[in-house]
Amino acid sequence: MAMTAGSRPRARRMRDVLTVLTRSDLQVRYGRGRLRFLKWVLDPIAALGIYLLLVAFVLDQGTLATGLSLACAIVPFQLLLSSIVNAISAVQLRSSIILNMRFPRLLIPVSSVLTESVAFVATLLLLPAMMLAYGIAPTTAILWLPLCLAATVALALAFAYPATLVGVWYPELQPFVVSVARAAFFLAPGLVALDLVGGLTRELLPFNPLTGLFESYRDALLYGQSPQAWEFLVPFAAAAVVLAVSLPVYVRDQARLAKLVG
Amino acid sequence: MSAVSVDTVGERAGVGGAQARLENVGVRFDFDRLGRVLSPTLTRLRKVHATAWGLRHVQLSMEPGTGVALVGPTGSGKTTLLRVLAGVIPPDEGTAEVTGRIGSLLATDAGLESLLTGRENAELLGVLAGISLDETRATMDEFAARTRLGDAFDRPVHTYSVGMRARLGLAVIQAIRPDVLLLDEVFEALDHEFRGIVEDYARELRERGGIVAAAGHDHTALQRICPRAAWLARGQILAEGDFAEVVAAYRRA
Repeated sequence: MAMTAGSRPRARRMRDVLTVLTRSDLQVRYGRGRLRFLKWVLDPIAALGIYLLLVAFVLDQGTLATGLSLACAIVPFQLLLSSIVNAISAVQLRSSIILNMRFPRLLIPVSSVLTESVAFVATLLLLPAMMLAYGIAPTTAILWLPLCLAATVALALAFAYPATLVGVWYPELQPFVVSVARAAFFLAPGLVALDLVGGLTRELLPFNPLTGLFESYRDALLYGQSPQAWEFLVPFAAAAVVLAVSLPVYVRDQARLAKLVG
Repeated sequence: MSAVSVDTVGERAGVGGAQARLENVGVRFDFDRLGRVLSPTLTRLRKVHATAWGLRHVQLSMEPGTGVALVGPTGSGKTTLLRVLAGVIPPDEGTAEVTGRIGSLLATDAGLESLLTGRENAELLGVLAGISLDETRATMDEFAARTRLGDAFDRPVHTYSVGMRARLGLAVIQAIRPDVLLLDEVFEALDHEFRGIVEDYARELRERGGIVAAAGHDHTALQRICPRAAWLARGQILAEGDFAEVVAAYRRA
């Protein structure tokens, strides 16, 4: 059997490692077969579907396409939340490998985000489904969607590193971290669009990076207008700050993960 | 205090090129008041309630063709020493240098993910050990035959017996063709037939210039693959040399 590594480029090895980490994570967390696709589509509805019903139908405010407005917040938030939940348990889930062999453990949080991004792609189907349901035709503003997605993934990746660290340091805090993430959703215009908020709250909400993120989706899909610069700048800046703080800490601790899970 | 760990995981050392050298190696565990191990970051932020050394002042040199058995009571540092050699735990003081691709069976479940099938585990562990994804997939049939797991190869590992897991773990090691073989209490889990396979493989690896380090309590099996032994107690090597002499001294103590 001639299976030799030789001197393959480092980038190719990183790609291979990331691929197998993500594939195995998908299989462990979501199982196999076509049913998992259905689960990914239904997950955001199951997670926050009650609010969809509440805002769109029970508290019908007569505003434009409430269901689509809500989906523009729920869909990106679902990636953030699931990435955080995944990352918190990522090291424990991989403890048998961490204790057995050395590999680029810097990629563990990246793998968490990639795993959930696969589910996120399925979740994205909610957006055209809502546009169809409300009879909203796409405009050229939809071309901003890739940047919206990039901002979502950047935030998910940035928060995956501190989430992984918290999962290693204080695994008992997992429910608390999830509650904090959910609180961040409610401290942003998730249930109602920013336009419907007034006063001091209206002035403060943009400081929450989720606000710009949610509004950018609404601009691209619901209002049919170009998102404002701050809607991207704030999420990207927040991601950069969180990464700048958490990545050096993760790099310092990752070499000794085996001590913590052993 | 220095902490330099040089390893070449994923790179083969070539014929006769495997080497391992530990110089004054120490591995420290810092605990909080609840007895949890603190990470390096948390030791800066929180009060360290207690400190224990898993290894201290460890000197060990292994040249090509060497086989060293690690003997000693439970908790003496055998597994920690193997993890340092594997690059899983870097030393907190001293230096550890290992040259060559490492194949390790250190965790009780051989690093296997219980919810994945044998095939999926083979792909995962093969790539993590340094083989490309393409090569891993191209040789999967040959790999499956080597495990002798039959249809079970495509079943989740949680349905395997301990011995079947060890077979899969060893097959991964054989596939990556390591220069350094690290075994932690594997003989205790294996049936008679498979013990023979492990022993033959370890001997062949040493004969072609590789290094074998094995820890356990089955001294008869260890002696068959390791001409040398190191006796550990409380994280320190008390004696190192000819297997029979070291084990005799350990048993007398």
